[in-house]
Amino acid sequence: MREMNENCVIKIENLSKEYRLGAIGSGTLRHDLQSWYAKKRGKEDPNQRIGAKQYTKGDTFLALDGVNLEVNRGERIGIIGTNGAGKSTLLKVLCRITAPTDGRVRFRGRIASMLEVGTGFHAELTGRENIYLNGAILGMTKEEVTSKIDSIIEFSECEKFIDTPVKRYSSGMFVKLAFAVAAHLDAEIMIMDEVLAVGDMRFQKKCIKKMRDLATEEDRTILYVSHNMNTIRDLCDRCIVLDHGKIVFDGDVEDAIKIYLGSANENFRALEYVGNEHKHHADRNDLCLQFVRYNGKEDSNLSKKSYHCG
Amino acid sequence: MKNNEITDITPKRRLFELNLGDVWKYRDLVMLFVKRDFKNSYKQTVLGPLWIIIKPFLSTFVFTVIFGMIANISTDGMPQFLFFMAGNILWSFFSSCLNGSSSTFIGNARLFGKVYFPRLVMPCANIIYNTIGFLINFVMFFILVLIYMFTGSNVHPNLCALLMPFILLSSALLGTGCGLIVSSVTTKYRDLGVLVSFGVTLWMYITPVVYPVSQVAEPFRPLALLNPVAPLIETFRYGFLGSGTFPWQYLILSFVVTAVVLVFGIIVFNKVEKNFIDTV
Repeated sequence: MREMNENCVIKIENLSKEYRLGAIGSGTLRHDLQSWYAKKRGKEDPNQRIGAKQYTKGDTFLALDGVNLEVNRGERIGIIGTNGAGKSTLLKVLCRITAPTDGRVRFRGRIASMLEVGTGFHAELTGRENIYLNGAILGMTKEEVTSKIDSIIEFSECEKFIDTPVKRYSSGMFVKLAFAVAAHLDAEIMIMDEVLAVGDMRFQKKCIKKMRDLATEEDRTILYVSHNMNTIRDLCDRCIVLDHGKIVFDGDVEDAIKIYLGSANENFRALEYVGNEHKHHADRNDLCLQFVRYNGKEDSNLSKKSYHCG
Repeated sequence: MKNNEITDITPKRRLFELNLGDVWKYRDLVMLFVKRDFKNSYKQTVLGPLWIIIKPFLSTFVFTVIFGMIANISTDGMPQFLFFMAGNILWSFFSSCLNGSSSTFIGNARLFGKVYFPRLVMPCANIIYNTIGFLINFVMFFILVLIYMFTGSNVHPNLCALLMPFILLSSALLGTGCGLIVSSVTTKYRDLGVLVSFGVTLWMYITPVVYPVSQVAEPFRPLALLNPVAPLIETFRYGFLGSGTFPWQYLILSFVVTAVVLVFGIIVFNKVEKNFIDTV
């Protein structure tokens, strides 16, 4: 396409995703027909709870609100933001799991979605069979899997158990095997939602290294969502902060993390001590921040002040 | 190896933008799902896939006892066991295509919520899975027909048997087409899911599975044959056993209905596929 230059692999234009608040329909045909018939005759909906707020077209929630983003080949982009900022929705739209309400996304090549480790693994199948099944679910052909199976098995560190049904695996082995498959995908764009935090510390390090190598050596593009600032620092070379469905910062990783943590700290002075420590205890820090954010009600006005530095 | 194809994600898809080519790209996945389903069906069973052979024999035996011997339903002079087996294996093929595909969205919501692949892969795998089972049953049926024939029973296979591939295809596609519609509607209205499980059983009784069309009172016969499954089963029995009639006009009508239901089913499925994860 002419507007997309050769180096640009993902182009997101004015992307919005709207969700309706309240229950979606009543879930049964009879009630929906009743409501529809009542509305048609101009009567009151018989299924509406007395006193319940009626949701009209205006009562919607924008999980993504006019997101614009261009990603170049070989970039490793971290996406951070509080719960409900729209990170996962953005990934879901990119992975074609759900369609946007407005806007447009174009991408070049294949997208591998790793929104969860071990999607589609089947307990009754052996490790080897699951590698084939999972590989195919993620978009590989049988030959591609066959050509990589040795290195997948080696990476997973499960050689001994590879012909045993995965229901007998420990949870650690399970995620290692699952990640090994994902790490060997051929897709030009890899999209991950907090999946690097699998296995023990050593295996996590190995995963991050593998991902970084893929990006630098094979020019893969990586989009990674995490609440773990350390992995973001380790993996990414560009970072985006999302808030209320909008991109509020796009640029250097350290600056992005400062904004994300800083904005949260400004609102919640009770947790000042955490702010001083966050360089060393990023993990715990993140947990605390999320927890506090959860309790905060009027955070949106406050946090908007602190943004706009990007 | 660099893939430079550009994919465009927009809010709405055109009505006939079906992306059927994508399903072909994922053909390996289709076969792996078929394999998974076989493994899963017979995990930790002693008899394993032998069940594929045992099941139709058992149910045909029950049919023969209840409908043939106790209810004494006419079989147009055919050996009862063969008569019921013919209806039974074709009907169970049709109904498992329908049942299997009718839970595509709800049954796979977790998987579909995490990774994209053409959702039609699932119903395709279901068709193949059931076709393999049916073909095994069909071979057994055919051997039985030959045995009956050479032991001097009143069985006369004829050229209509050559229509078998079309009957097979039509049963599969009709069942799957209905299943796709049900599956799309159940993402919002769960009622239909409940309806399907016993609706299919009720449908069997208005279909000449346990009785021949000739037993339907004359004025209602055309009505009975309007049921798109009826001419399929009737032709199947006519071709391999020589019983009843060959209702060719109704068979053609049945093919047309199949095509309409299938196209409609795919369009609805395709439309729901884009956003179902938000409502399911």
